[in-house]
Amino acid sequence: MKNKNIKMILIFLIPVTILYTFFFIYPLGFVLATSMTKWNGISAMEFVKLDNYIKLLTDETFLLSIKNNVIWALSGGFIQIPLATLVALILARKPRGWKTLRTIYFLPNIISAVAIAMMWKAIYNPMYGFLNAFLGLFGSEGHNWLGEINTALPAIIAQAVLYIGYFMIIILAATTTIPKSYYEAAEIDGCSTLQQEWYITLPMIRGILITTMTLAMAYGMRHFEATFLMTNGGPAHSTSVMGLILYHKMDAFRLGEANATGTILIFLGTVVIVFIRKLLTRSDAGSDSVQ
Amino acid sequence: MKTLLNIFKWIILVFFLFVALYPLIWLLLASFKSSNLELQQNPFGFPDQWMFINYYNAMVKAKLPSLFFNSIIVALFAVTVNLIVASMTSFVISRENFKGKNIVFTIIIAGILLPIIAFMVPYFSIIQKFKIYDSLLALIVVYSAINIPISVFLLTSFMESIPVELEEAATIDGANFVQRFTKVIIPLSQTGLATAGTFCFIYAWNEFIMALLLTSSESSRTLQLGIRFFTSQFVTDYTAMYAAIVITIIPSIIIYFLFHNRIISGLTAGAVKG
Repeated sequence: MKNKNIKMILIFLIPVTILYTFFFIYPLGFVLATSMTKWNGISAMEFVKLDNYIKLLTDETFLLSIKNNVIWALSGGFIQIPLATLVALILARKPRGWKTLRTIYFLPNIISAVAIAMMWKAIYNPMYGFLNAFLGLFGSEGHNWLGEINTALPAIIAQAVLYIGYFMIIILAATTTIPKSYYEAAEIDGCSTLQQEWYITLPMIRGILITTMTLAMAYGMRHFEATFLMTNGGPAHSTSVMGLILYHKMDAFRLGEANATGTILIFLGTVVIVFIRKLLTRSDAGSDSVQ
Repeated sequence: MKTLLNIFKWIILVFFLFVALYPLIWLLLASFKSSNLELQQNPFGFPDQWMFINYYNAMVKAKLPSLFFNSIIVALFAVTVNLIVASMTSFVISRENFKGKNIVFTIIIAGILLPIIAFMVPYFSIIQKFKIYDSLLALIVVYSAINIPISVFLLTSFMESIPVELEEAATIDGANFVQRFTKVIIPLSQTGLATAGTFCFIYAWNEFIMALLLTSSESSRTLQLGIRFFTSQFVTDYTAMYAAIVITIIPSIIIYFLFHNRIISGLTAGAVKG
């Protein structure tokens, strides 16, 4: 079918083509292509084959950063999402004030990462912070939460994982698509609330749970801001992540290495999205056939 | 069993209420306290004296008014450019049929999944090539572009729900292609535009990394960059620093309480579609 408006359609697509090409397609190609060069942004690029990748993958700090990103991803997928699901299931039964609660739970998500990071830095402050003052009430000794190797990574992850609002709202929305009659039937058959959630709600929102887990893990792989602002990777690189390595390489004008880091970041992010989705969807199909 | 479950339910709900709100309240109270000493001696309670002077200090020392102005300009223009481009795109995708339509849509939406931080180097070099490094224009262009995928996603699904009959009636009355867009679809898409615009505004208002990367001078500094810089200025005076952070949070909270229904329905639209 030929559309008689095709000329106008193409004209309407010009702006998006320009912006999308410059800020998505070209950068993607650019990052991949220059990841095999030695380049400082001023002198000519020099093709170095896989040297940048070899350098990165034999660098202990980089490997530690990948590990930290994986910890972020797992915390997102297996702590944040279950918590968000728990709260969504509770709110789905519309307890008193559920709409207000939903609005408040989401509130931190609209505040900037900078403000949130500075706020938590204040809370974790060893001298003036809330957390040590609170623990002091129980006679517990304080910590320099962001300054000690054992506590720094958990401290940054904890503040991020506890903000469940974003995923909770998506999961809550999915529960509204489940027909009420399912619960009525289950009620008549004598199913308890917990049984209803386990046998009706969770299987019915399986799709969105897989999507949100995938998203949370993908966000974990690209995590950068809070760490940059709260510890800048320290102490002793213990909180470093790939995005931070990229930033520091760029800051030092090692642009080829920065883009090799970017390529690995994009690659691992895509692996998480595609692979985790496949894995979860397949185990779903398995459980279907068992039933 | 039932009461036990009920108690458990409220413990969970109150715990997350606490997590979401208490840090903000604590920060707000701390921002009014008189000194670091009071923070230490009176960590939880109300300030002995409400020190509004902290806010004055934050405003003056951190030059908040000019940072505020820059952030507003960047956010408003980014939203405008983003909505114009995204609505034109969504209009042809949702209301017209042409070859390759689905491919165009899929490619644009795939942009949501790309980690933008991996693009630090290319964005920097593009902005330098355009000779707009260290200007508000650089941030406007980048922010409006980064939000194209999400806006097209939201607007396309919104425009698809507008009945065809309205457009047909307009065509019979002699409306041409552009008029169908400006006189029929745009006025009917106000809710969708508000949702996409709110997402874009919050993004542009809160964005930090690209602002750090693409600007250097004080004249093009945004509020988020400002907070980072004045944390180093205020090492001896935490209370004024907290006041400055509170000031930057306030606009986000106002926008949220005005538009939270749109934000939530925007997220919900994505969830129901899968």
